[in-house]
Amino acid sequence: MTMKMKEYAQPGEYNLADLLCCAAAREVADNEVVFAGTGLPMVAIMLAQKTHAPQLKLIFEAGTLDGRPPELPTSVGDARCEMGASRSSGLHDAFAIAQRGYVDLGFLGGAEVDQYGNVNTTVIGDYLNPDLRLTGSGGNPDINSFAARTVFIMVHEKRRFVENVSYITSPGWRVKKWPEGGWIHRRELYGAAYRGGPSAVISTLGVFRFDAQTGRIYLDTCHPGTTVEQIREQCQFELDTSRVAGETPPPTYEELHLIHEVLDPEQIFIPKVKKA
Amino acid sequence: MSKRNKRISLPEAAALIKDGSSLTFSGFTIWRRPMALIYELIRQQRRDLHLIEVNGGPQTEFLVGAGCVAIWESCWVGHELYGKYGANVSRKVGTKELIVEDYSHAEMTFRMAAAAAGMPFAVSQSSLGTDIHNPQYDMLGRAGLRDGSAPRIAGSKYQFIEDPFYGSGQYVLSPAPKIDVAVLSVQMAGEEGTVRVQGQYYTDPEVARAAEITIAVAEEIVPEEYLRRNADINTIAGFEVDYIVECPWNAHPTGMFGRYDVDGDFLRDFYQRTRTQEGFDDWAREWVLGHDNLSYLEKLGWPRTMKLKANTALNYSTSVKRGQ
Repeated sequence: MTMKMKEYAQPGEYNLADLLCCAAAREVADNEVVFAGTGLPMVAIMLAQKTHAPQLKLIFEAGTLDGRPPELPTSVGDARCEMGASRSSGLHDAFAIAQRGYVDLGFLGGAEVDQYGNVNTTVIGDYLNPDLRLTGSGGNPDINSFAARTVFIMVHEKRRFVENVSYITSPGWRVKKWPEGGWIHRRELYGAAYRGGPSAVISTLGVFRFDAQTGRIYLDTCHPGTTVEQIREQCQFELDTSRVAGETPPPTYEELHLIHEVLDPEQIFIPKVKKA
Repeated sequence: MSKRNKRISLPEAAALIKDGSSLTFSGFTIWRRPMALIYELIRQQRRDLHLIEVNGGPQTEFLVGAGCVAIWESCWVGHELYGKYGANVSRKVGTKELIVEDYSHAEMTFRMAAAAAGMPFAVSQSSLGTDIHNPQYDMLGRAGLRDGSAPRIAGSKYQFIEDPFYGSGQYVLSPAPKIDVAVLSVQMAGEEGTVRVQGQYYTDPEVARAAEITIAVAEEIVPEEYLRRNADINTIAGFEVDYIVECPWNAHPTGMFGRYDVDGDFLRDFYQRTRTQEGFDDWAREWVLGHDNLSYLEKLGWPRTMKLKANTALNYSTSVKRGQ
C-alpha cells in the first residue's frame, strides 16, 4: 500500500455519507462485540473490521453471531449475513446475548434526540394523536439498554435536536422511572445491569458526546466546512460548546477505497462522489 | 395426530383463520413471510385480526391496508431499504382504525419465548425508562379491552417489580401472548410436519410452539424420512405443526434464504403507491384480488423470478440489482 492511502482525502473527494461512515468506524475498538443495525452502520462496522479492528465480533439482530459477510447485506435478516459466521440462529439468542452483557457497542439511528440522548423512532407529535407514526422501536431501546456504548447516526435538523422528544423510544442518560414517571439517571434505574449508555451522536453536522457525570450532550467535533455557531443554531436546546476538540477527521484514501470498491460497490447505502 | 394427513391447500389454510383471531408469522422484516397466505386472507376478506408480531413488515402492511386488522401488537414495521416506514399502519393509526400496542423488540421476543414455554409472562430489563412503559400509553387498556372480556388480552400491558432474589434493580414483566394461529413460511416441511428452516431461523421455533394452530407453508413438501435422516439440522418437530401447505415462491416479495432474494422493486412500488387508501385499493386490484397463487406468479413472470432466484452455493441471488 502506498503512503498516500493513509492520508486524508480532500474536500470534494468524499461525500457526507463517507464522512459519517468513517466517523462511525472509528468508534469501534478491536475485539469488541458490536451489534449492527441495517444501513450505514453495517458498512461502518465492516470498514472497522477491514482496518483497525480485524477481531471485532459482529452480531446481526436477526440471529447471526460473529458474522463476516463477504457481500454487504441490505438488512440484518438478509441471507448474506450468515456467510462465514460463527453461528446462524435467531432473535432469542441475539437478545439474550445482549441482555447477558456481551455487547460492547451498538449503532443506532433516530428521528429525534434530546440533550440527554433520549431518542424517538416511534411517532412525531402526541403519541395518542400522532402527526406521523414512524417505524416503531425495533431493537433500538434493547441494544441501548444492554450495550456498554451506543452510537447514534442522525440527520441534523433543528426539529430533530429537541428539548424533549415526542416519545422516548430509546433510553438516554436521564430517563423516566415508571409507573410514576419521575426523571432519574439511568445508573440508578438499571441497577446491577447498568453498563453504560449513549456515548456519541454522529450527526450530519458534527460529532457529539455525553458528560460522564451529568449525561448531558456536548459538541466534540464539527464536520469539515461546518462552524460551531451553525451547529448551535440547529439545536433547540442550549448546546455545550465548551470543549470542542476541532474538526471531524475526514476519510482516508484507504477508507474510501474500501467503502466504494470492496464493501459497497453496488452503492446500496453509500453513493459515490459524482465527478464534476 | 402425527399420522393424520396434514396437507391442505392455501385457501383451506386461510379459512382456518377466523375473523377476530390472533395471528403471528415466521420470518423477520422482509424475509420469509408467508405472503401467499396473506394474499389469500385479503381475498377472503378476513376482518378484526389481532396481529401479534415480534416484528412487522410487508405482511403487516398488506393486511392493514386491506382492512383486515383491528389490533397490531409489535415493535416495528417498514420495508427496510425499500420503504422506510409502514405507510398503511401510519395512516390507520391516524384515522383510529387501528390500535397499535408498542413493545420493544427484545420484549416481543422474550414474550413469544414465554408463550412457547407455557409461561405466563416474560421478565426483562430492556427499555427501562422509556415511554414504551408509560402507563398512559397502554392502548388496549385505553380501548377498554383489558377488563377480562377479551380472553386473549392480558389484564395489563406491564407490571414492574424489584428483583426479589438478588436485589439487582427494577424489572419489567410483560404478558405472554395468546396466539390462535401461527403461519410459517419455510423452505422444507416433511409429510408429518417436521420443518427444516435454512439460514437464520429468527423467532420461528418460538412462534410455532406458542400458537394453538401452526401452519407451515413450504416451498416444497419432502418425504418425512428425508428430513429424519439429519434430525440435528431440523428446526421444528413434526407434532408442533398441525397443517402443511406446499406452495413454491410463497414468500414473494419477501426473500427466502437459499431460494430467492427480496424483490426490492416490488416493495418499493408498494410503498410508493399505498400512501393513500385509494392507492392501496388500486394496488390490491392489480396484485391480489382476482388472482390465485399461479396467476400471481404468471404476472410476475419468468424474467423477474429468474433474477431473484438464489445461487445454490451462496444462498442469495447474484443477479438481483440492489443499489443505485
